[in-house]
Amino acid sequence: MSHISARPASLPPISLPRRVTAHVAHLLILGLFLIALAPLASLVVTVVSRGWSRLDPTFFTSSMRGVVGAGGGALHAIVGTLLITLAAVVISAPIGIAAAVYLVEYGRGALARALTFLVDVMTGIPSIVAGLFAYAVLSALLGPGARSGLAGALALSVLMVPVVVRSSEEMLRLVPSDLREAALALGSPVYRTILRVVLPTAAPGLVSGVMLGMCRIVGETAPLLLVAGFTDSMNYDLADGRMATLPVFIYSQWQNAGRDHVAYENRAWTAALVLIAMVFAMNLAARLWSSRKVR
Amino acid sequence: MKTIHLNKKVPVALIMTAAIAATLGLGGCAANEAAGNSPTTDAATTGGTSLSGTLNAGGATSQTAAQEAWRAGFQNANPNVTVNYDATGSGTGKQNFSQGGYLVAGTDVPYTAAEASGAFASCATGSTLVEVPVYISPIAVAFHLTGIDALNLDSSTIADIFTGQIQTWDDPAIAALNPGVTLPSTTITPVHRSDSSGTTENFTDYLAQTAPSAWPYPAAQSWPSDLAGEAAQGTQGVRETLSATTGAIGYLDASQASDLGQASIKVGSSWVAYSAQAAAAAVEASSMDAGRASTDLVIDLDRTLTDPTTYPLVLVSYMVACSQYADPNDGALANAYLSHIVSSSAQQAAAQNAGSAPLSQTLAARDASVVGAIK
Repeated sequence: MSHISARPASLPPISLPRRVTAHVAHLLILGLFLIALAPLASLVVTVVSRGWSRLDPTFFTSSMRGVVGAGGGALHAIVGTLLITLAAVVISAPIGIAAAVYLVEYGRGALARALTFLVDVMTGIPSIVAGLFAYAVLSALLGPGARSGLAGALALSVLMVPVVVRSSEEMLRLVPSDLREAALALGSPVYRTILRVVLPTAAPGLVSGVMLGMCRIVGETAPLLLVAGFTDSMNYDLADGRMATLPVFIYSQWQNAGRDHVAYENRAWTAALVLIAMVFAMNLAARLWSSRKVR
Repeated sequence: MKTIHLNKKVPVALIMTAAIAATLGLGGCAANEAAGNSPTTDAATTGGTSLSGTLNAGGATSQTAAQEAWRAGFQNANPNVTVNYDATGSGTGKQNFSQGGYLVAGTDVPYTAAEASGAFASCATGSTLVEVPVYISPIAVAFHLTGIDALNLDSSTIADIFTGQIQTWDDPAIAALNPGVTLPSTTITPVHRSDSSGTTENFTDYLAQTAPSAWPYPAAQSWPSDLAGEAAQGTQGVRETLSATTGAIGYLDASQASDLGQASIKVGSSWVAYSAQAAAAAVEASSMDAGRASTDLVIDLDRTLTDPTTYPLVLVSYMVACSQYADPNDGALANAYLSHIVSSSAQQAAAQNAGSAPLSQTLAARDASVVGAIK
């Protein structure tokens, strides 16, 4: 209530109806905030309480190969998620940052407008469409039924590039024009100004933008289900063969439970917990990174 | 441009690499998998299997839990082989098999005789289509009523319930079949599959064959769209809807029905509850579908059996393969995997994990002679 009491004493007192209205509005907003918070709290409580039982060392050291019923783990899915996400970052970060540099530093006229429009459209692409795109590419290149982690990374890149472009664009626009002008005045060509002045200045923001893009894609299921497939076994080779990922692991454990369905459901909940923890860690890292280097 | 990307991506790449290194450092390789790929030592320790490679299969979702058991057993015996099974549904499985995406496929709905004589991408010229029944599963008619675990329901009553002719549990038609049971006046909520499913096809086929007057629909993988009722996604969805709804009735793979009330169906003049033995007996008592190649063992299920040792509300799922593959290694893999599936130990493992009915000895021997000739 500090906003009400922090009023200079010299002013006349606030009338009762206004104070009542202020209090009611305050309580209403607090209530709505709690309502908005409730699903999140419920989600965290549910996932932690149901995922707790299988949060054991085996879960992180075993795959599902040769496992029937209880036991087993998700190491193959954790490794798959990390590899595919990393590959998606390697594909989308350069494209996304380069597109943002073009928009901010060079882009004028019709081409820039078209690019902005396309990025807007791509932001709204449903993930399954990105999956179908990668599936079509994969089928055309390798024949029907082919699956690979790289194709999964390609599908995720389609989703990630617009996020990276958008956030990088904002970060590059925040770089003061004074810096650019100073560099240009010293005789530095535009490309060197970008490389040596603009990008280093915007670096923390760019990194956190890429990290947020990663958070956006790490939980995607539909495209990976289509093109990366699912396997019980470890696969470190992005270019060849099916690769398990955590979201698809959760889906398949839930959907294809055997007779002892509790064991499958517990594995799914634990995988969900691990996935949420990964996203949380990435978000935290992005925030720490951008706050640490702010100048 | 190169410098930009290096500059920008080093931190991310570092973090990711560190994360991966941490994971790998923790496990190196999965604890349950043979370390490294050293064919010679592995082969020596596991009895001289020389098989290696990847066998990609997929298709019927009904087989998923059984495939898990089969895969585990097979991969433990052949450490250098990886078998994958995508539960994509029968239609996609067959399509991928025809186009060469899967080496073998699982399907609830066999190819028609005409389709079976067509061309398949992985098969050598002159190869015939192999279809063998590998997975037999009784379908339970399950319900959720407080205090009632078992009921007798004949096929015309079941049809009337699912078409909405019978609305409440204390309907005289149900009471007449269940003397001595106090039925509540709860409204009946019929639950059906929202997705296209072999379970639905076998259930509707059973109703269409045994109660044609009460069930005017043909056997189909999709539930008739003009019928009311609760739709649920997948076997798990049906199980959860039934568990959550008092007064609900549905059909689902019997292995998933153990916590629910179960109906006995009328076979001849007796009431028969589902059992693995009765389901396998129903398949054995049915005749083979005529007019097919000697490797194409499709069964023409007879739902109107009258022998009370049979339970004709059953789903039969097949494995599809080529009798001869274009690539001999593919042939060796398919031969070994399918031979494993029809072996009695694998059938027992599937019964454990999936609650299926093991193949009878006659069926298993017939399957084994066909799949053993795959090359």
